Amino acid sequence: MTRLWWTQVKAVIRLELKKTFFAKRGLWIYAVAALPVLLFIAYAVAMSHEQHRTTEIARDGERRLAYQDLLAIKPGMTKQEVAAILGKPPLVFHWTERRPTGPNSTEEILHEDLHYSDGQNDLYLGLANGKVQSINIHEGYNLGEDAIMFAGVFQFFFLRLAIFFGCLGIFMNLFRGEVLDRSLHFYFLAPIRREVLMAGKFLAGLLATCTIFVTSELLQTIAFLWHFNPQTRDLYLYHNHGLEHAAVYVGVTFLACIGYGAFFLVAGMLFRNPIIPAAAVLIWEGINPFLPALLKQFSVIYYLKSLCPVEIPVSPGTPGLFALFISNADPVSPPLAIVGILVVALLALFVSSVQVRRMEINYTSE
Amino acid sequence: MSDRIIFEDVSKFYGEILGVNRVNLSIPPGITSLVGPNGSGKTTLMNLMTGLVKPSRGRIEVLGYPTDDPENLFKFVGYSTQFDAFPKGLTGFQFIYSYLCLSGMPLQDAERTAWQAIERVNMVDAASRKVAAYSKGMRQRIRLAQALAHNPKVLVLDEPLNGLDPLARSEMIALFRASATEGCYVIISSHILHEVDVISDQVILLSNGYVVAEGQIQTVRSEIQEHPTQILIRCDRPRELAAKLFESEYTIEASIHNDGRGLLLKTRDADRFYLAMNQLALNGLQIESIAPADDDVLSVYEYLIGNEEVVR
Ligand SMILES: Nc1ncnc2c1ncn2[C@@H]1O[C@H](COP(=O)(O)OP(=O)(O)OP(=O)(O)O)[C@@H](O)[C@H]1O
Ligand SMILES: [Mg+2]
Repeated sequence: MTRLWWTQVKAVIRLELKKTFFAKRGLWIYAVAALPVLLFIAYAVAMSHEQHRTTEIARDGERRLAYQDLLAIKPGMTKQEVAAILGKPPLVFHWTERRPTGPNSTEEILHEDLHYSDGQNDLYLGLANGKVQSINIHEGYNLGEDAIMFAGVFQFFFLRLAIFFGCLGIFMNLFRGEVLDRSLHFYFLAPIRREVLMAGKFLAGLLATCTIFVTSELLQTIAFLWHFNPQTRDLYLYHNHGLEHAAVYVGVTFLACIGYGAFFLVAGMLFRNPIIPAAAVLIWEGINPFLPALLKQFSVIYYLKSLCPVEIPVSPGTPGLFALFISNADPVSPPLAIVGILVVALLALFVSSVQVRRMEINYTSE
Repeated sequence: MSDRIIFEDVSKFYGEILGVNRVNLSIPPGITSLVGPNGSGKTTLMNLMTGLVKPSRGRIEVLGYPTDDPENLFKFVGYSTQFDAFPKGLTGFQFIYSYLCLSGMPLQDAERTAWQAIERVNMVDAASRKVAAYSKGMRQRIRLAQALAHNPKVLVLDEPLNGLDPLARSEMIALFRASATEGCYVIISSHILHEVDVISDQVILLSNGYVVAEGQIQTVRSEIQEHPTQILIRCDRPRELAAKLFESEYTIEASIHNDGRGLLLKTRDADRFYLAMNQLALNGLQIESIAPADDDVLSVYEYLIGNEEVVR
């Protein structure tokens, strides 16, 4: 019996794949999946451009500098003292400012911006009348910051929007699309259990969304790592859990497709208009951090958030509600989170299996 | 294990709209035709039989199987629908082939069986073209091939002759006959009785969601001809009129209106009734109006049988 069902599931998948991957209605999903990849490529291009400039400035400088040298500069130092440590600045901007000091008198201030580099990091010094006033060190590779940026894009764009709407587009249409095309009866006339049909369609949707979004996730990681020099990359991948994080992101992407997929499979059977359930689920997932603990559990994002490897820090100035939204107040442990998502998905699949048995062909021939 | 297709007091409502009402049927093997005008409930009855829609009330059984178990039902039922939409992008062959694959048939068997079905409906040449580019008649035939493909014992065909040229028509009819001779249940629908009456073993006449007549074609014909006509008469002396009319054997029933100024009459022979009425009017009876009370059913019969055949 199960052998037969499996054969039938495979037949359904074969029929569905063309639709889930190449439906004209679904081409925008590729665009949504490509967006973060393009973002990271653009970022990498900008970063390597900047890197190029930094190297140039280091080369143009009088001395070869070390990071330690950059750190030696203190506020209040004179231009000569700076030059004694770092040599003649390779890049200087200056301008004068006329500042009123009384009704008829003005004071003239000479501003100078010096730019040094050790080949990787930039030092920006602001001098006023020959004394160091501001010091800015811009580190070439700020892995910590970049990893948080990656985490932010993943959580707030990729999970909540890209995969969310991608799953909506693909899973909602599994049944609804064929009702709109008036071709669902083709499946309903075959000697196949409705539940088996549903399973086949769900797996076809899963195959499509996982392929699209896992590929996107991998390309994002590659684009993200692209502008680092090999040493930094190795450091990140092998000593800073980079590889591990990349694997976890792929896993979370996979689970997100299962969770949202099951959600939208039911929604596609219960509603004719996709806007309503989409908005409802989006709002439900959005207000999740503010819900009581029990209700929180009936959500996909709740578990996904707990699985994300890099936590996004809340900067001190963030307003309370917003901070609550960003932070993960009461995370669940990873095994529990995985089980949680699978249970939510199974629940949704159970509802849709009841629903699919009840479904009738309600369209007429005209 | 029943060997019939059974409807027990089945009704189907689409929200407020009546699909079929209080249908009781027991369909034996052979060719059974569902005949009725547009909207009379033919498709609804077929959809009910195949589980595409669920009855609002009543019970349906196809050869002992319930209709909500497609896995078993469609092992022996094939349904060629009136829906003219196909899964996107398939060729005629792929359409049949993937249908067979869905049943879990091994791929080589499915391919062979699909070609056999395509041959039976004479579509070999067009089978590798996209269904979307088919003519109406070709689509009709490929749907038929799908219904036939797995050699089902019960063939449900919704207006299968629609859109076919005369040659294809007689080929298909031969096909139905052959299946019926083998002991299959072939259920076809049509809105023209004379299109199917010669090939049918029994007919079911539908009107407005009701089964109005059922049985072998001869029985149905005579039933229609003998169907009592109801006539409403408004006149000054209904009692007297009723007494007069009861003198002839074709009057079955008469009921006097409460106000004493009219009567409802049932007669087996409307023509002779009208003749008799003319006679009575000449004899001084004051008649306000005469009108057939069940125009509906009558017009359906006329429509079905064709005017010239209705003998009254
Ligand atoms: N999906 C539906 N929703 C609402 N009403 C429906 C639906 N399907 C059928 N009906 C109604 O049920 C009645 C019977 O329709 P049905 O399609 O069974 O008639 P039919 O005899 O097949 O007609 P036709 O000759 O046009 O095919 C009609 O009044 C129709 O309007
Ligand atoms: Mg119809």
